[in-house]
Amino acid sequence: MPTIFTVDPRSGVPLYVQLTEQIKRAIALGMLAPGEQLPTVKALALELTVNPNTVARVYRELERDGVIDTSPGRGSFVRGDVAGSEARRAVADVARAAFEIAVREAKSLGLSREETLELTARTIARWYETETESQ
Amino acid sequence: MSAPLISLHGLTKRYGSFTAVDGVSLDVAAGSICGLLGPNGAGKTTTFKCLLGFAKPSAGTIAIEGAPLSPSTFETLAYVPERASLYDNLTIADHLTLYRRSYKHYDDARAHELLALFSLDPKQKAQRLSKGMRTAAALTLAFSIRPRVLILDEPSSGLDPIHQRHVLDLMIDAAANGAGVLFSSHQVGQVERAADSVAIMKSGKLIVSSVIDDLKSGEKVIEAVFAGPVPDLGDLASDPRVVRIEQNGSMVRAVTRDDSDGVAGRLFALHPKSIRTIDLNLEEIFMNAVSEGTH
Repeated sequence: MPTIFTVDPRSGVPLYVQLTEQIKRAIALGMLAPGEQLPTVKALALELTVNPNTVARVYRELERDGVIDTSPGRGSFVRGDVAGSEARRAVADVARAAFEIAVREAKSLGLSREETLELTARTIARWYETETESQ
Repeated sequence: MSAPLISLHGLTKRYGSFTAVDGVSLDVAAGSICGLLGPNGAGKTTTFKCLLGFAKPSAGTIAIEGAPLSPSTFETLAYVPERASLYDNLTIADHLTLYRRSYKHYDDARAHELLALFSLDPKQKAQRLSKGMRTAAALTLAFSIRPRVLILDEPSSGLDPIHQRHVLDLMIDAAANGAGVLFSSHQVGQVERAADSVAIMKSGKLIVSSVIDDLKSGEKVIEAVFAGPVPDLGDLASDPRVVRIEQNGSMVRAVTRDDSDGVAGRLFALHPKSIRTIDLNLEEIFMNAVSEGTH
């Protein structure tokens, strides 16, 4: 697997939360395909220079969320059946949380409902149109 | 769960009327790396001395791999002191020979891998080595015996950033293979990266002992700004989830140790103009703990 994860140990966001989100995102974006094997805990810990127990915790979370399958002796694999939808749902959770923060911030900065709605519409127009044009 | 590889219980060390280590209890499990932080004079090195039998505890118990210290403890335990102790007139190769004769699990191939990793010349005499090279040589010796227990006092002092990273990788590799590691550092970033748990000492006492990610999940700052002066906060300061409250004009900052969302909810009920939650990294948590005292 290529190096597609970057974690920031100096952040106040727990490392296992950062890495769990990134792996889910990688699956949702197809950077990790269904059935693909994840590196061993030791290999990923050494690659990122982070604690192996932290990586093991990430794999346990992913297993619990139904995103990967771990079988003793064989390793961890992206689930073939539900991986897509589970990972999409997980990514939608991340996006919802980010959106929530943005709207809360707008409100606490004193923007009215109408102003926030307008800002949202403008932002959507900007990003979604760019995407259509480039495809 | 098997017995922790390193276990301290109520460890106390007094020198006359001075208590250097005061009732410290700490466990390091197999596969775990514990980072020990604390200001100078907090008792970190004294704790290590007791752990290794160099100082006799005034009270408390110590167990390595579930047993009290004995000569056989040291077959699988590696210790690197802050100032690497090498024989000045011997070369690095001579030191390896000593280790080959003294340690059952000495691994010569591993030792030479590590020499290459740290760019050390085995023909160099110890007295010719720079401070960083001495540290690197001591680390090479320590990891060459394939230890199950590692006790490292400031293991990267004098090393350049690349070699510092190698030290973290060596600890991570050892832990992934089932070793237990206890290391002290003044560089919070190293602990944050390599360790899964942190112990913070101050004035001989252990004031924080926790899984780092759990600390980060619990310790947050909630910052609320009100339109006018801060309203009556009620008993918020005595909420068990709150470490302390700071007020400044129309702004309140609540430092939480747990359930920051719940505390934010209490502040939100007072109708602030704005409210936000700020994540704290280990350095900030460390500074808070050391300036605060016990929690």
